[in-house]
Amino acid sequence: MSDLFTRVKLGPSRRQFLQTVAAAGGAAMLPASPGTGEAFAQGAGDTLVIAAPATPQGLDIEFDVSIGSIDSLGALYEYMLAYEKVEDPNAPGVLREDTSVHADKPNNMALKGRLAEAWDVSPDGRSATFKLREGVKSNWGNLFTSKDVKWTWDRKFNLKGQGLFQTAVLGLNSPDQIKVEGDYALSFNLDKPNPLLLKQQCNLANPIYDATKCAAVGGSADPWAVNFLKNDSAGFGPYKLAQLVRGQQAVFEARDDYWDTKPAMKRVIMREVPQSASRFSLLQGGAVDIAQFLQPRELEALKSQKTVAVDAVNSSYMIWLELNAKIAPFDNVDVRRAVNMAIPHDEIIRTIYYGYADPQTAPMPYIYPMADKSFFSFNYDLAKAKALLEKAGAGKGLNTTLSYNAGDPTQEPIALLIQTSLRQIGIELTLEKLPAGVFYENVTKRAKPMIFYLDSPWTPDPGYSTYLYFNSKSYVNYSNYVNTDVDALITEGLGTLDNAIRLEKYKKVQKTLMEDAPWGFIAYPKYTLARKANLKGFTYYTSNNLRFQDFSRR
Amino acid sequence: MLAIVSLCARIAVIRPRFAVGYLIVAIVAILAILAPLIAPYSPTEADSTNFLQSPGGSHLFGTDNVGMDIFSRAIYAPRIDLTIAILGTVLSALLGGSIGALVGYYSSGRGIRVWVSFAVMRAADVLQAFPVFVFAIALVASLGQSIQTVVLAIAFVNAPIYLRLMRSQVLSLRSMRYVEASTVNGLSDFQTITRHVIPNAMAPVLAQLSINVGWGILLTAALSFIGAGVRAPTPEWGSMIAMGFQNVVTGQWWPSMFPGAMLAITVFGFSLVGASIEVLADPAKRRQLLNDARQRPAGRAAAASKRQSLEQV
Repeated sequence: MSDLFTRVKLGPSRRQFLQTVAAAGGAAMLPASPGTGEAFAQGAGDTLVIAAPATPQGLDIEFDVSIGSIDSLGALYEYMLAYEKVEDPNAPGVLREDTSVHADKPNNMALKGRLAEAWDVSPDGRSATFKLREGVKSNWGNLFTSKDVKWTWDRKFNLKGQGLFQTAVLGLNSPDQIKVEGDYALSFNLDKPNPLLLKQQCNLANPIYDATKCAAVGGSADPWAVNFLKNDSAGFGPYKLAQLVRGQQAVFEARDDYWDTKPAMKRVIMREVPQSASRFSLLQGGAVDIAQFLQPRELEALKSQKTVAVDAVNSSYMIWLELNAKIAPFDNVDVRRAVNMAIPHDEIIRTIYYGYADPQTAPMPYIYPMADKSFFSFNYDLAKAKALLEKAGAGKGLNTTLSYNAGDPTQEPIALLIQTSLRQIGIELTLEKLPAGVFYENVTKRAKPMIFYLDSPWTPDPGYSTYLYFNSKSYVNYSNYVNTDVDALITEGLGTLDNAIRLEKYKKVQKTLMEDAPWGFIAYPKYTLARKANLKGFTYYTSNNLRFQDFSRR
Repeated sequence: MLAIVSLCARIAVIRPRFAVGYLIVAIVAILAILAPLIAPYSPTEADSTNFLQSPGGSHLFGTDNVGMDIFSRAIYAPRIDLTIAILGTVLSALLGGSIGALVGYYSSGRGIRVWVSFAVMRAADVLQAFPVFVFAIALVASLGQSIQTVVLAIAFVNAPIYLRLMRSQVLSLRSMRYVEASTVNGLSDFQTITRHVIPNAMAPVLAQLSINVGWGILLTAALSFIGAGVRAPTPEWGSMIAMGFQNVVTGQWWPSMFPGAMLAITVFGFSLVGASIEVLADPAKRRQLLNDARQRPAGRAAAASKRQSLEQV
């Protein structure tokens, strides 16, 4: 990795950047000077500068799914398949994956080949054979073959990181179920049919590695190249890593030998700017092309600027309260329902999100196939909430604690609105602000009665979503929800390719989940992107990440 | 009584900064006491129909991003900030002062007491070597987030200051004749320390107390600013600044500016009071100040007469 610091001549230096930051800061104070700092990004039309909340902590998806890491992944790696892209119906100029059900297309999905040129699913849905693309080279110059795919999936079995979830959700029990059928042919062989077999090939968590390079750098001491892939990449994507200085910046360079259309942005610089107000100022001053994860209030303020554009698309994000079913008072379903009845959705969306969100009306992203909002019955009604509390035997009121993440600036104001609302039905909340690291530790420990959670299931499938959050054996079932009927329905839905049967089963799952209210349903925040107006090509992915190769300048 | 008031008034004229300090502290104390009567709104109730209202109209200082009235919260805040700072400072003075008195009294001579004194001073060195803020964060992180923890954090980070202060005072006092006389008269060490040593060593400690209350308020606010202090929505200046500072860049300056200004003014007030106590507690400075105050009317009359004669010329 050390040679990465010297092997390329980088873009603007740290000193130049700091000077520009200072200029942008000044520009933010002077509304009449929006062009300050413009020269930084405009000077290099094929350089994309991103102000990100964090640089990648690690580049290995097996162990790191932080924001910076997932943004890097789609640039450094290539995938077997991808969804076709369509125009976003609500955001002009924005593309998004076509994840809907297409009865007229093979496998009922709008898929296109990437590393796999062609594919065939057996009639019983238990196996899929892929014909792989020839002549594709990695960023280390190695030719892509079926051995790379096989090595990638073997790695998941051996490292037992997040990849284990990927294998489990497909029903893969052994690496032998993935067979090399030739240099450019490979098959997945399952015990039971699985509707996710093709969808998972598009999932951001399943990039294909350059096995030759990984084996060479890892040797016998590190056969799965854990140390190497944490700091560098070995993939078939359009970019290669030029520099990674954690906490400062990551630099990516477009590959001249990329097999598909060459990216318009030859160099991408991802700067770490932790404060959203600073990212806002940098974009406003013209020092960066993209300011990620701005606050809704800041997005509103940018709308009036001609040099800046804001895209907001319906996303797979969900924010909810984990109501821990094993901790009082949320071990009582009526208390959970009462809390849901008293969540002021409209106030939260208007006051905190400035309209950049919709009320959460289903236990899965509303943009996903088979999501059904008809079971949502928690419209704001304090009288009904109070009645439910009385039914639960807590008519005199109760005290509990709501924990939230100090690292997410939206959670505290949402907590305050919920606290004010719940007080009116006799629930007194103590608000507990937890530093980000401690917060996630508490979420996974499942030790808090009521804690915020913001997440998104990356695969657009009802079985994937509900298995992830509500299956009693799922690691991510942080609300400790157990319902054997729901477990059975989710598993049955994941065992058939018949969409009519799946729809019926997942309707039942959603109905039961709404009745059992394991979550305090809050909102579907939109995925937003604040960018320079001359930048185009933004495409929304359900994994909520950027892919640098999508962007170009007008 | 009238003479005292008159003297105070004259001190206020010749040292106006002292008067400003006492005035600020008095106003803040009155606001803290009368907050429930003065505040037009609840300081902890969100009102989403009135979020980020600018100052004026029905909200004197405007509202924050969940519609809480900033004026109400800003005048409630000293209840928490002052309570924490005063309790923490008094606790640190009691803790550090009493240990300092013992260490100072027993720091010479022979035996185990000398070694204990030495060990205590080195422990104080270690404590003071840590940056105060980092030490306070570590304490809050290990003991949990609550008002009591912040009080303890303030007490611990300030205790070495009082320890050193009291020790240095006692070191000079312990060889005084009246201390020796009390020992000769059969008083125990405890009686000597509590009746004769500590009362005579209190003057600089009292001056330090006021300064440390200001620091305590600042530390409380700083801890709350980073989320390690009091819990939302408890009205507290630091947490109010933290909640509002992100809005400044989009033009809503009031959620953080008003609590920030009140915090700054209050700390300034306490430091002025501390400075005045330092002067009043020092016999030489006090004598000078009182002389200046007594001569002030005469001096003013002489100046007026001189001005009049110049005008006539």
